[in-house]
Amino acid sequence: MMETPKLLSLDALREYRRGVISDGMDKVTGIWVCCGTGCLAWGSAGVLEAIKKHIGTISADIAVGVRCEAGGCHGQCERGPIVEITPHGWVYHKTRPQDAEKLVRFALEGDPASPTEDKNPFTAKQEKRVLSRMGKMSPTSITDYIRNDGYEALEKALGEMSPEEICRAVSSSGLRGRGGGGFKTGTKWEACRRSKSGVKYVLVNGDEGDPGAFMDRSLMEGDPHSVIEGLIIGGYAMEASDGYIYVRNEYPQAIKHLQKAIDDARELGLLGENILGTGFDFDIAICRGGGAFVCGESTALMASIEGRAGTPRVKYIRSTERGLWDKPTVLNNVETWANVPLIVRNGAEWFRDIGTEGSPGTKIFALVGKVENTGLVEVPMGTTLRRVIYDIGGGIKKKRSFKAVQTGGPSGGCLPESALDIGIDFDSLTAAGSMMGSGGMIVMDDRTCMVDVARYFIDFLVGESCGKCVPCREGVKKMSLILNDITAGRGVQGDVETLGEMARSLADTALCGLGQSAPNPVLSTIKYFREEYDEHVRDGFCRAGVCRGMFAAGISESCVGCGVCRKSCPVSAINGEVKRRHMVDKSRCIGCGSCFDLCPARAITPERRPQK
Amino acid sequence: MIGVTIDGRTIAVEEGTTLLDAARSIGIKIPTLCHHDGLPPDGNCRLCAVEVDERGRKKLVSSCMYPIKSEISADTKNERVIAARRFVVQLLINRNPKAIAIGELAKEYGVVREERFALEADLCVRCGRCVRACESNGTDAIGMARAGFERYVAAPYDEAPESCVGCASCAEVCPTGKITYKDDGLIRKIWNRTFDLAVCRRCGSRYATKEQLAHIGRLGAANIAVEDIDEPRLCDKCRKAIYTAKFKTGS
Ligand SMILES: Cc1cc2nc3c(=O)[nH]c(=O)nc-3n(C[C@H](O)[C@H](O)[C@H](O)COP(=O)(O)O)c2cc1C
Ligand code: SF4
Ligand code: SF4
Ligand code: FES
Repeated sequence: MMETPKLLSLDALREYRRGVISDGMDKVTGIWVCCGTGCLAWGSAGVLEAIKKHIGTISADIAVGVRCEAGGCHGQCERGPIVEITPHGWVYHKTRPQDAEKLVRFALEGDPASPTEDKNPFTAKQEKRVLSRMGKMSPTSITDYIRNDGYEALEKALGEMSPEEICRAVSSSGLRGRGGGGFKTGTKWEACRRSKSGVKYVLVNGDEGDPGAFMDRSLMEGDPHSVIEGLIIGGYAMEASDGYIYVRNEYPQAIKHLQKAIDDARELGLLGENILGTGFDFDIAICRGGGAFVCGESTALMASIEGRAGTPRVKYIRSTERGLWDKPTVLNNVETWANVPLIVRNGAEWFRDIGTEGSPGTKIFALVGKVENTGLVEVPMGTTLRRVIYDIGGGIKKKRSFKAVQTGGPSGGCLPESALDIGIDFDSLTAAGSMMGSGGMIVMDDRTCMVDVARYFIDFLVGESCGKCVPCREGVKKMSLILNDITAGRGVQGDVETLGEMARSLADTALCGLGQSAPNPVLSTIKYFREEYDEHVRDGFCRAGVCRGMFAAGISESCVGCGVCRKSCPVSAINGEVKRRHMVDKSRCIGCGSCFDLCPARAITPERRPQK
Repeated sequence: MIGVTIDGRTIAVEEGTTLLDAARSIGIKIPTLCHHDGLPPDGNCRLCAVEVDERGRKKLVSSCMYPIKSEISADTKNERVIAARRFVVQLLINRNPKAIAIGELAKEYGVVREERFALEADLCVRCGRCVRACESNGTDAIGMARAGFERYVAAPYDEAPESCVGCASCAEVCPTGKITYKDDGLIRKIWNRTFDLAVCRRCGSRYATKEQLAHIGRLGAANIAVEDIDEPRLCDKCRKAIYTAKFKTGS
């Protein structure tokens, strides 16, 4: 390990980098045990300990050839604990402590199977740019970051570029905010740069409130320096002196790793006064949020940093003029910031060369739901939903059929099969009635009731509304009452029309983005799955077999007569002899759905209830 | 000065004037609920919605907070505006059927309470005027508790608020009469607390609580304890009367 000097000039940083690269560590085989939140839950700490212990038992002159440490998230958390061996790029899933001996042997002597990422369909078709370092280095080591091209962009920015040039590069890269709105980052930066003020702020939005989303958490945990490097460059470009990273308190590891990264960067002289002798002063603090969804909204986030209640404020003046403590402020999402060093280092042209005209670059998605492979997926913008869900995600679980994909988090929308060939970017998703949001992607199969999905998201938003403005506080609640009525068989004619009208009024009147976009899940499901709403309201029928009491079980010819359903039925509505087709007494069936998933022959399907 | 056209009439206003003030200055009525001339605006009821046209971009804004910064035009009565207000009034009357102000709005906008969505009736419209009044006084005794549909006005931990001085500003600005207080002889009861009223030595009116007078004194940097208020003082009206009387005699 090298001593940490305080770097006082750009030359000193270059010299330091040369030292890091030639310290011989690149010849050492790395065994990286993922210790992201997901893998830790699978017990990766035990695997790490076992490997370290095993290395301790082999002779010292051999052991110097390997290094085993905690690594960052691979994004395929369901296959954890994941271990990667560098520089070979071999990745091992579902490892256990008893694999330690084997893994160390592979590291030292090679693995004939050579399980590289291109043999894993989930990762082979991805384009990892922002995630390129994840899992291949120690997230808590600034030297590892520097060894992997880290702080090269900062060196270039401070050494060769003026603040104007950086803003221009970000503008011409076409980078759009990854946190939801897709606002052009460069436009925001230039506006803030032009604002005359002695004090300006740059902020990172690490609130990540969308249920199921974990792109930002993984980045902050697994490559914290990439966010910090972006933020320092942004501070320089906009002549800001302070940066804040707003992270929800439920992300303790992200907070720990970011804090370590900030401390290490400060110790090395990359933060603080007169950074690298350039005369630029900049420092970063972490601000922990209580984890309310609405605190991800920009004005609520700023109120929260100021120490006030995290409720949105009416804003007719942009943050780039009057933001945090009324000073010019730029707020960007974690992933947006992590893209900045890439753009500065490789140039705007390089950035634009993948993605679409209107949405260049890559985007990270959290692919979850009823797909075979779930996890973080980084693909070029413009990649079709089909490619993500089928080629990368491996298709629908248990060979069921696809019904819808929900994108954009709770205020996003649900898209049907006919939309699968849409190339995903900010504009195409909006045009289709959904949105990019921060990158949540939930795949649903035919056992999903779309009305129930809308109800679920609306109920989530009822719980997350701050309650400040009338339209959202009372209106989203009213939509919830209607949707709960419909899914309980109490819907009345005209409910769907009422929901549609309310959606338009909410978008017009709510104070902040939460209320304005709250109706999206309802509007998009009405747009693409209207028959299901009508079946619920008119016929009291839920074709997915989800809404209690709104269907009866029906057993088809594929019944093998095993009797499992008969035994599971709480009201004994199923009759039949062993090895003979069973039958359901529909008038007794209460539509609880307990038998459906038990049937090994998948012979039970929801059917209409007999008319009373 | 900036030219602004409201409902077809153009006037010149000072930069930063709110659309609401500009409209009122030419006699155009826009309904408001959370707005109060004496309090900082908050823009939470959305009733004062009007449509502005910013160089071809039309959007609904809350006129009570929208600052006029460039030449714009605004429509305070078109279909979109009325639909938005009706939507808000409908939601309000569903929850606050007994609030007189809301009843009047409902009549004006032609909406009736929807029994199906009528949850527990309440007088409070969560406009936060009371909270802002208390904040403006520097007492900060009450605030909004909980979030979303459950949001309500409360003193910390729902206990009698220690920093309340019994001034009743909250009740004064409340548009629905949700906050009440009771003066009984020389005693005022509000927020589960009891205050002594001070009596004017000239007219005998009970014009403020002693805690309130001490608080005002403290704002003026004098270290006044409630006990110091014991000696009778003059109410505002009488003080003014005495001072103006001095000028009249001219001596
Ligand atoms: C209710 C609500 C929640 C939001 N939550 C987040 C969030 O968790 N993370 C995020 O980056 N942006 C979130 N946003 C978007 C932010 O307000 C803001 O637009 C974004 O952080 C700007 O950064 P960007 O341009 O890099 O996307 C949210 C917006 C709304 C209305
Ligand atoms: S829209 Fe909802 S979350 Fe936003 S201010 Fe209004 S009540 Fe709060
Ligand atoms: S108590 Fe009155 S002033 Fe306070 S929020 Fe409720 S309605 Fe508004
Ligand atoms: S009066 Fe303007 S939003 Fe309430």
